[in-house]
Amino acid sequence: MNEKNIFCYVMVAPALAITIVLGVYPMIDTMLISFQSYDLLTLQNEGTRWIGLDNYREILANEKFLQTISQTVIFTVLAVGISVAMGLFLAQIVNAEFRGRSVLRTIILSPWFVPPVVASAIWLWLLETNTSPINSILLDAGLIERKIRFLTDSDTIGPFSIPMLSIVAVRCWNGLPIIIIFLLAGLQSIPKSLYEAAEMDGGGVWAKFRYVTLPMLQPVLMVLFALLFLGGFGHFEMNYIMTGGGPRNLTNVLAVWTYQEGFQFLRYGKAAAAGGIVLVMCSIISVFYLWAQSKDNRS
Amino acid sequence: MEKLKLTTAVLTLSASFLTTAPAGAESIEFWTQTYGDQIKWTAAIKELTEAYEAETGVKVNHEIVPWSSSRKTWLAVAQGGAAPDCADMWWLHSFSAIGGDKFGPMPINDFKSKFPVEDFYEGALQDSTWRGDFYGVPWRGDIRAQLYRTDIAAEAGVTQAPENWDEVIDAAKKMTKRGDNGEVETWGYSFGSAAKVVDWLMPLYWQAGGEFMTDDGKTATIDNDAMRKALTFMHDMVNVHKVADPDAFEKGYKARPAFVAGKVAMIGSAEQAWGNRLETENPEMDGKWSFARSAAGPANRASFSGAGYLGVLRGSEKVEQCVDWLAYLSKDDNMLKLSQAAGTVATKPAVMATDFWSDRPYKVVVAEALEDAHTSQHPAPSWSAISTSEPGGILYDMIYSVVIEQEDMDEAISSAQDLMQDQLDR
Repeated sequence: MNEKNIFCYVMVAPALAITIVLGVYPMIDTMLISFQSYDLLTLQNEGTRWIGLDNYREILANEKFLQTISQTVIFTVLAVGISVAMGLFLAQIVNAEFRGRSVLRTIILSPWFVPPVVASAIWLWLLETNTSPINSILLDAGLIERKIRFLTDSDTIGPFSIPMLSIVAVRCWNGLPIIIIFLLAGLQSIPKSLYEAAEMDGGGVWAKFRYVTLPMLQPVLMVLFALLFLGGFGHFEMNYIMTGGGPRNLTNVLAVWTYQEGFQFLRYGKAAAAGGIVLVMCSIISVFYLWAQSKDNRS
Repeated sequence: MEKLKLTTAVLTLSASFLTTAPAGAESIEFWTQTYGDQIKWTAAIKELTEAYEAETGVKVNHEIVPWSSSRKTWLAVAQGGAAPDCADMWWLHSFSAIGGDKFGPMPINDFKSKFPVEDFYEGALQDSTWRGDFYGVPWRGDIRAQLYRTDIAAEAGVTQAPENWDEVIDAAKKMTKRGDNGEVETWGYSFGSAAKVVDWLMPLYWQAGGEFMTDDGKTATIDNDAMRKALTFMHDMVNVHKVADPDAFEKGYKARPAFVAGKVAMIGSAEQAWGNRLETENPEMDGKWSFARSAAGPANRASFSGAGYLGVLRGSEKVEQCVDWLAYLSKDDNMLKLSQAAGTVATKPAVMATDFWSDRPYKVVVAEALEDAHTSQHPAPSWSAISTSEPGGILYDMIYSVVIEQEDMDEAISSAQDLMQDQLDR
């Protein structure tokens, strides 16, 4: 091992140690717990018996848990899809040169300064049926006849419900700035000459976006999608604070289910098994991302 | 020279450690949640700890555990996390079971004579006793009673608080106001003051003559007529009489802003601490609200009551110091100070008989409501999980399926009975 290699290992070591202690070890420990009968109330008398896949069998036989998995996927796909689409649009705008661009950038980025817990509390107030100022404005303007039950309406259209869409909207509002920052950085790294060449070839706005912007943003988009999907599958705050998973389990997601199973019902084994399902889902995304990246490198 | 400086520094540091060591041995760690106004609460504890230190030389280091994370904190402590010497706790049965004889709450039977147990309300003492063991001092009551808007009541021709369920229905109908489009502008009734749906059921079920389990905490007893009566009342208030907001059964519901804004006229089971809060935080509400004892159900007028207790934690090496500190706090004057700061009813009749608890009409009422108190704690470790007001909770799901999803009541109760029994067998 040469000196340069040693230096690299030394520099990486602290980060690696932190990752192992705070990330890898708890993950492995949680997976071990998911194969045990880890019940806080019986722990003192019965210990933690090894029960194989029983926790997984039990939670996967629970209809509400299966609904929760599908809600998690719907929530993540919607939140990621809408956020990235809006991010692409807004990043293009704030990337353009015009008067007041700095002000617009500040306004667009401002939700980023609001922590998700605070954002949840603010939007909970804004969307609570009886006290919602949004409802008041819409009613006064004559745009609606009845208050919209943003967080409590249990009617559904297919897999979609108003509460779920409301939380997705809040998530997008809160998460959009970081997406814009990512995309803006990507946009600014695209050489202007490519756009000029496209223009000379007679390409319009759509053609420049389709044949220049999108391909050049592909690496950034790949990282972004991977991060957002991973974050989406583990998302907790907004769903827990705003609806607790209700009404009728329509906004429940895996992280909320896991929290309730562990901290409210004291069944850590089943909570860990639910965490295992999240891990599998995240692993699929990671494997897909790594495969896409290696394919990209090969090409 | 450098060496001399270093030696001097080391000696100085060592000396400082040596001088602080005895003080450390004479200090205890004491954790509480926050009650009422955080500044007032912290000041009250500071006053008590300073007076205690002056009297005994023992320093009490007070730390606040935020309510938002307290359950997780105590769960961790009960499993062997870093624990204080003594603390303000609740869910005694769950935390004790989790900790077994290693961690969590510690029985202090040997020191029981240091506490004036005969001076406490008997019901409050239940909240610091488990399986015959004495765990500490019950210090705060959480009695709930009816709360209503006197201005809305007067406008609706309701002259006094309802005395029974029929009168509740009648008053709620009169006080429910609808706009031209049929939208409700003021709900006549709300079951409780926060979206703790299971807490709402409890007094109604007791009022109908039911009990959730046998005295030994081993058998679930919810599949009966009392439960049917309680659930029918809840169901009908929402779906038949349409005087209670179905949205209240969802997580984000907050009754306080709705009550203050006149969107809710009456709350069946409101926390008495609201009296203090309405006085201090909403002076504009002066003269517009009043407390009353719970309305009677078919069997009685039982009222939801809980208590927190001050106890010692297993693993503490300062048990005797802690017991002395808790005994100090259990004196009438100090209990009164805690009660004043927290705005919660006291657990001793002598404190409730002081001027402080009779200088406002609402205080007189909540003191009277203590006669209806029925403890919300039950002698089963799994009760904290059973009574959780979250989707997936046995009682929550039962209430939700009957009241909101309007599913078959007998089936919902029968299923909940079986699930609850499974939990009691855990």
